[in-house]
Amino acid sequence: MMDLSNLLHLLSEFVLAGVATVSFAILLSVPKREYLTCGFVGAVGWVIYVLLTDAGQSPALATLIASIPLTALARTFAIRHKAPVTVFLVSGIFALVPGAGIYYTAYYFIMGDPMFSTKGIETLKIALALALGMTIVLGMPLPRKKITKQ
Amino acid sequence: MEQRIDPKTEHDRDRRVMKLVLSAGQTLLENGAEVFRVEQTMQIMARSFALQEFQVYVLTNGIFASAGTKEIGEVRNIPNHTVDLGRVDEINTLSRRIAAGGVTLEQAEQEVERIRQLPLTSQKTRCLASGMGAFCFALMFGGAVIDGLVAAAAAVVLQQYLIWSSGRGVPGIFQKMTGSALIAGICLVVCTLLHGSADYATIGALMLLTPGLAFTMGIRDFANSDYLSGSIRMMDALLVGGSIASGAGLVMALYSHWAGVLL
Repeated sequence: MMDLSNLLHLLSEFVLAGVATVSFAILLSVPKREYLTCGFVGAVGWVIYVLLTDAGQSPALATLIASIPLTALARTFAIRHKAPVTVFLVSGIFALVPGAGIYYTAYYFIMGDPMFSTKGIETLKIALALALGMTIVLGMPLPRKKITKQ
Repeated sequence: MEQRIDPKTEHDRDRRVMKLVLSAGQTLLENGAEVFRVEQTMQIMARSFALQEFQVYVLTNGIFASAGTKEIGEVRNIPNHTVDLGRVDEINTLSRRIAAGGVTLEQAEQEVERIRQLPLTSQKTRCLASGMGAFCFALMFGGAVIDGLVAAAAAVVLQQYLIWSSGRGVPGIFQKMTGSALIAGICLVVCTLLHGSADYATIGALMLLTPGLAFTMGIRDFANSDYLSGSIRMMDALLVGGSIASGAGLVMALYSHWAGVLL
C-alpha cells in the first residue's frame, strides 16, 4: 500500500511545505528560535492534506481535516514554548490557504469557462473548512491543570 | 513597592502606568496580535502595576482605555499595521514577567521602548524568503523546477514592488491588485519564453499575497467572540482575495486577447 516512491513523494512534500512555511515565518518576523517549529506545524498540515486529496477526498474536506491537527499542534507548541499561538498558526496555515483556488477562479472567469462558479464555490468552501477546523480546535477548553496561558 | 504619600505623585504614577500599558497594547495591535490578546495583556499589565478600575476596549484599528476613578481616559488610533510576530512574542514574554512580579515600572517602560525599536526584517532577507516560499509553493501545487524558479523571480520582483509602493503610501488593496497583476504578467511572459507552465508559477508567487494573516486573525477574533474585529479582518481577507483574483485575471485576459491578435 505504501511503497517507496509514495513515501519519497510524501517526504518531498513534507520538506517543501516545511521550507515554504519557514519562508513565511521569516516574512512575518517570527522569532528565529521558532522557525523549525513553525516549519514542522505547516509541513504536518500539508502532508495530511496531500494524503487525503491523493486518497480522493475533496479539497474542502481535506483542508478541514488537515487544519485540525495543525491547529492542535500550534496550540501545543504555544503552551510548551510560552509563545503566542498565532506565531505557529499564521505561518503554519499558509500552505492550506486556497491560493490556487483564487487563481483558477479568476482564470476560468476570464476564459469564460463556466467552471469558474464551481471553482469559486470550492474556494469559498475551502476557506470555510479552514475556518471551521481552526475554530473547533481553538474553542476546545484546555485540560484544567494546563491553564498556564498567561 | 513605591511609597504613596502625595496623591499627586500617585496620579502621575498612574498616568505613567497608563502610558506604558497603552504603548504595549499599541505594539501588539500594530504587529498583528488578535484583539483578545491585546485586551488581556493590557489588563494584566495594569493589574500588576496596581492601576485601579482599568477598562479597555480594543478594535482592529483602535484602543480605548480608561482608569475610572483617576480620570484618565485615552484613545489611540492605530491605522497602520506592519506585521512582526517577533514583537508580539516579546511583549507577551514581558507581560508574563511583569505578572510574575519583579519588574519595576522603569524597567518595563525601557523594555517596551526597546521592543518598539527592534529592527524589522531586512529587505534582502524578505526578498530571499519570498523567493524561497514562492519556489516551494509552485512545486507543491504541481509545478516543475523551472516553474518554481520563475515563481521565485516574480516573488522577488513583487517584494521590491511592495516595498517601493508602501513607501509611496499606495493603499493596501490597490497594492495587492497591482502586485498580483505584476506577478501574472511576469509569469505569463517568462513562462511562454521558457516553455514553462505559467499557472504553477503564478500560483506559487500569488501565495505571498494571499490574506492568510487577516484570515487567521479573523478566525481567532471570532473564536474569542470579538465579532466586530473579526468581521473587519474577514472583510479585509475577502477584499484582498478578490483583488488578487481580479489583478491576475485582468492581466490574463489582456494577454490572451493580445496573444490571439499576434498569433
